[in-house]
Amino acid sequence: MAFADAPTYTIPWLIDRTSTVYSLPLFYERLNEAINHPRTSIDDIAKIITEDQGLTARLLRLANSPMFGYFGKVDSISKAVTIIGTQQLRDLALAASVMGVFKGIPEELMSMATFWRHSIGCGIIARALATWRREVNVERFFVAGMLHDIGQLIIATILGDLVRTMIEETQAEEALYFDIELKRLGFDHAEAGGALLKEWKIPANIADPVTYHHRPSRAEQFPLETSLIHLADIICQAFELGQSCERFVPPLDGASWDRLGMSPHQLGAVLRQVEPQIEETFAILSDAS
Amino acid sequence: MGLVAVDNLEVGMVLASDVQDRNGRMLLGAGAELTQKHMVVFRTWGITEVDIAGIDYAETEAPLPAEVDPEAVAAAEAALLPHFKHCGLEHPALKELLRLAAIRKVQHGLC
Repeated sequence: MAFADAPTYTIPWLIDRTSTVYSLPLFYERLNEAINHPRTSIDDIAKIITEDQGLTARLLRLANSPMFGYFGKVDSISKAVTIIGTQQLRDLALAASVMGVFKGIPEELMSMATFWRHSIGCGIIARALATWRREVNVERFFVAGMLHDIGQLIIATILGDLVRTMIEETQAEEALYFDIELKRLGFDHAEAGGALLKEWKIPANIADPVTYHHRPSRAEQFPLETSLIHLADIICQAFELGQSCERFVPPLDGASWDRLGMSPHQLGAVLRQVEPQIEETFAILSDAS
Repeated sequence: MGLVAVDNLEVGMVLASDVQDRNGRMLLGAGAELTQKHMVVFRTWGITEVDIAGIDYAETEAPLPAEVDPEAVAAAEAALLPHFKHCGLEHPALKELLRLAAIRKVQHGLC
């Protein structure tokens, strides 16, 4: 319960309110079930995806974009499943549909275009850093980056006026947005977003990095994934790629940086290739949703 | 000794330690004097920096792309500084990010 003089917002309360507004795209659960079932064929998976025409179009455009750089043309979903892999395609499908889920936030409160540009930027950079590290299944980094700030969206949906006050406060006090959230709400958008993903039964290797992207030292299960999202968010803020509610570059956690085994000189080389990808991916994903 | 970015290498520099690629494949041994061909080989194998004898780390800032005006970059860095107020620049990664962000701004004509 929330009282005007003593706001006692909690994450479960917020998630409970959110569940009546937003829900996970229908195909996700079916896709997940199909992937985990031992007797599923590639055609079964393709069938679930192709039922959603918008999603099919976006996935095919993504698969043919420079992000993948396949030599041949990926002209059907079953070909995409074969080349990209079932789990990776599931992650990609989630990334390709979240923009359609979170709708109805007043444009004067938050610009959705700049918010998603920031999110896509974070996803692509996290994916590029993971590729540089030669991690397997890099699409999970893309989704985690895409989703890392959705906590801001659900807070804005449920507590719009408070978000307006908090955004004004960040600007007036030149303070970090998530510090203001902690002060006003008792939790931040990272925890709220992570809680929603858990409620949706999104795997922990995606939900945990979202939960801890501002406090990577607390991530026990997926420290590497969390460190990557943490750094990718900082890079996006530094480069002013889109914008979330945050106005400043968040502090870098030294231990997270060390975990990635990167030298500062290498950042330039990794980042040089991502910017065209961000623009193209943004165009593909914002076009259809 | 100090790590020098491949873009900053000059012919005649001497390696302070072995250069290996990401899989640990030996490319060139410590004590070798660099030639133009070595640099091509480093780039081919994805080496981004090597350990050079007799160089102080602080002196080795990567060169700016030719078309970028150093003064414009300095101005862009100054303009970006308020943005970096909470993360500080003590960490070398953030220092590099500020530099890259400033170069990007100048190249895209954003300032």
